[in-house]
Amino acid sequence: MSAHPALPADAVEAPASGFNRQVGPIYNLPDADEGRVKRFVFAVAEKHMNSAGSVHGGMLMGFMDVAMSRSARAVSGAPRCSTVSLSCDFAGPGRLGDVIEAHVRVVRTTRTMVFLMGELRVGERVLLTANGLWKIAGMKTEA
Amino acid sequence: MSAPPGYRETKLVDPFEIFMGPVYEKIENGERRFALVVDERHVNGRGILHGGMLMTFADCTLGAKAWDLTNNAACVTLNMQSQFLKPARAGDLVEVKPELVRRTRALLFLRGDFTVAGETIFTASSVWKLLGRD
Repeated sequence: MSAHPALPADAVEAPASGFNRQVGPIYNLPDADEGRVKRFVFAVAEKHMNSAGSVHGGMLMGFMDVAMSRSARAVSGAPRCSTVSLSCDFAGPGRLGDVIEAHVRVVRTTRTMVFLMGELRVGERVLLTANGLWKIAGMKTEA
Repeated sequence: MSAPPGYRETKLVDPFEIFMGPVYEKIENGERRFALVVDERHVNGRGILHGGMLMTFADCTLGAKAWDLTNNAACVTLNMQSQFLKPARAGDLVEVKPELVRRTRALLFLRGDFTVAGETIFTASSVWKLLGRD
């Protein structure tokens, strides 16, 4: 269950180490659009900010990277997936106390690759849009 | 933590960068080269340097380049395109010397090749907006 009062009641914390524990907690939310949209959430704290009073771009991109990685693993069933490329556009700033959701749509999955599109939003306000390409790792067919 | 040979610690101002740092720098031909020493806070569950940390380091260092080019003008990241070429691990020294590709009145086009032991592991291209300029 979520500890942060502003988080959705159905947010579930995932086990984390390293970077994810350092910047987190980052929670999983139930899928939307009949499983086609994977959702994640985190609550902005002081540690996530830049000196201009906005959420640091690195944190927003890092959150999208985590969201897309979890989505790629979920749809591929592979234990490991690695980021090949990620393109992020910053549409608007995040603020202290915002509860930011990631919505990730899997565009296509091949034997070795996953193509993803994502958005970060606070309610209806879009903070970031992204396109990502993930490599499914650890499959037996790999050289 | 002590600085790698030839480097000194970069003065960071953003709380998130201070939380994830330190970052180091040295001057080469009048321009800053930056370095990150990868530690346990920067890796994923497999011990590989996390993409989010690389993009954070890129945003931090390309932003520092934007400041250096504009005499510390207020500017924001509009986008970043990142390519992850090769894994890095805890203990690795990741280095970058950010480059200006083009400058207009309102925009800076920046990029960086991030290397470990001279081999490129990550590249980033980024557009920055100078606030208050049309």
